[in-house]
Amino acid sequence: MFTSFIHRFSAPKSFVEVTAIFFPYVMTIGFLVLSVGWIWGLAFAPEDAIQGNSYRIIFLHVPASIYAQLIYFFMSICALMHLVWRVKLAAYLIKAAAPVGVIITFIALFSGSIWGIPTWGTWWQWDARITSTLILFIMYLGIITLHSSFSNAEKADRLMSILVVVGVVNIPIIKKSVDWWSTLHQPASITVSEGASIDPSMLYPLAISALGMGLTLIALGIMTSRLYILTREKNKKWVQSYV
Amino acid sequence: MLNFISSEIFKLRHKLRSWLGPLLIMILVLIAFPLSIDISQYDLNKFFFSVIVVALLMISFLATESIFSEDYEDGSLEQLHLEEKDFYKVVLAKIITYVFLIGFPMALIGSVFSIANGISLQDAPKIFIILAASTLILFNVFAFGSALSINKGSMLGVLASLPLALPVIVLLGRAVRTVQYGSGFFEVLALMVGIGLIVTAIMPMIISATLKTHLE
Amino acid sequence: MQLITASNLGYSINDKRLFHNLTFSLDSGCALHIKGGNGSGKSTLIRILLGLTAASKGNIEFGKQSLSISYLGHKNAIKTYLTPIQNLELIFKPAIFPLAVDWMDSLGLTQVQDEMTANLSFGQQKKLALIRVLANPADLIILDEPFVGLDHSSRNLLSNFLKEQLALGISLILTSHIDPELNCSELILSEDTNA
Repeated sequence: MFTSFIHRFSAPKSFVEVTAIFFPYVMTIGFLVLSVGWIWGLAFAPEDAIQGNSYRIIFLHVPASIYAQLIYFFMSICALMHLVWRVKLAAYLIKAAAPVGVIITFIALFSGSIWGIPTWGTWWQWDARITSTLILFIMYLGIITLHSSFSNAEKADRLMSILVVVGVVNIPIIKKSVDWWSTLHQPASITVSEGASIDPSMLYPLAISALGMGLTLIALGIMTSRLYILTREKNKKWVQSYV
Repeated sequence: MLNFISSEIFKLRHKLRSWLGPLLIMILVLIAFPLSIDISQYDLNKFFFSVIVVALLMISFLATESIFSEDYEDGSLEQLHLEEKDFYKVVLAKIITYVFLIGFPMALIGSVFSIANGISLQDAPKIFIILAASTLILFNVFAFGSALSINKGSMLGVLASLPLALPVIVLLGRAVRTVQYGSGFFEVLALMVGIGLIVTAIMPMIISATLKTHLE
Repeated sequence: MQLITASNLGYSINDKRLFHNLTFSLDSGCALHIKGGNGSGKSTLIRILLGLTAASKGNIEFGKQSLSISYLGHKNAIKTYLTPIQNLELIFKPAIFPLAVDWMDSLGLTQVQDEMTANLSFGQQKKLALIRVLANPADLIILDEPFVGLDHSSRNLLSNFLKEQLALGISLILTSHIDPELNCSELILSEDTNA
């Protein structure tokens, strides 16, 4: 019963039709919220006591870092759904999410490098968190390359899902690397057990930026997914009548 | 499974380039390093281990590059799949054979090299053990990469498996520091051996699923 | 006994349908000759029967649990860096090895048994590959283009072997563009396959 429930609501056609309705709203709200967060953070949030104005890149870097991992986590859930319940849509979502993940991980690394110059005096350091994020970036590239290498799309989907599931072991390593290894990178400012060590005047725009970025990335993901589904299913009657 | 192990040993015995080739390359790389840079023995003692680690990483990949592709291309993998319902046993047999015939000798070469670079004879067995545990993990990881990219070239295999191998290198580096500074060795060793055993238990099943996908 | 029953089998790849609505059965001691043009799905159907590939639709039932299958496909499954005798050592358990050597002799490979398999001709390599089936018969023999590359006497040898196995109650499925000269039922794969 559970399996038939999943298959009924995970048809690619349903996904394309449903997302067509709310995609414009998600995109608009995402841009608006992100704009509010960034304008607040860049223009109105107070200067940091130690880092001065250079800390403001936090409003780009921290959300990017969070979503770099979250997107992979989302992909791993989709991968499990594809491998266990053979849900085609799950494979399409992985394939569509991977480029979004690559870009956001690159933004996290790049913004981190820029932030490193005024704070650490170096744009790169082989510390645990940065290196683990670089590894995550390579993993995304590996996933995209693997899928593109096979002409049999169904085989490619399955192999890609296997790689995503195996690679998920890297996510907790990134998450906890700061705690497990002594490192240049600062520890988490917001933890579940201890709350936030960051001032509310900076925390609120950070949270809003993170929310805005999340919605924008969801919108981007929906856009790439819809395009990919229409490409993959182009021989089906519903696509020909939809397009 | 013993049948599969003896078949793998038979094949490696007759295909020396797959067996001795990686070992010879490891020796060459480890010899080339001190020849290529003009530093004192004292300096060499400080970072010789990086060379062993990088050599181990590269040569583990090289050694496992054709672990499945040869059998896939000539049709033997298909026959093995038909012969053995628990296909992961075939995979496990291959990995175990490669680890014992190539991985552990690589660890021995690395530990001999480390003696030549300042590690005491008492500490050399420790180096051997941690290198051996590392090859167990690395061979599993790179075998997975080889399985994913079975007929698509080795670059894809590297891209797929290197991100999984790099954390092993970090752990290996930490393990060496415990030997050099004399504390926490057994804790790190227990971690490495534990990870090695878990990976060896799980990875053959994952690789088996990957190979079955290719055989379809 | 009905050894294999296939109903409404279909296979698609990348949304392209290879065959569909395939229904057939095979009894013990009978032979099935799968025919069709290039790319019609003969080898794919065999792989589905072997369980290597999953059918897109339909199902297959086997009349016997733990059915032993002897199979040779397009690939020879032999090691070119070994000699023929070493290949037989690798493939066969010690108990069956002498029988395999006898077959090697029957196929005229004894004089090249110590040469590298890579240096043998296509036909000689095919004969070596066939020993896997000849020396190790099972409940069901599946062969994909077994006669390709064989000389006339080897073809007769293989044909006679298959006739003997059928007489012993062993079943056979084969694809071949060359007439196997066996008493077979036929399954023809085409664009609109219904059998």
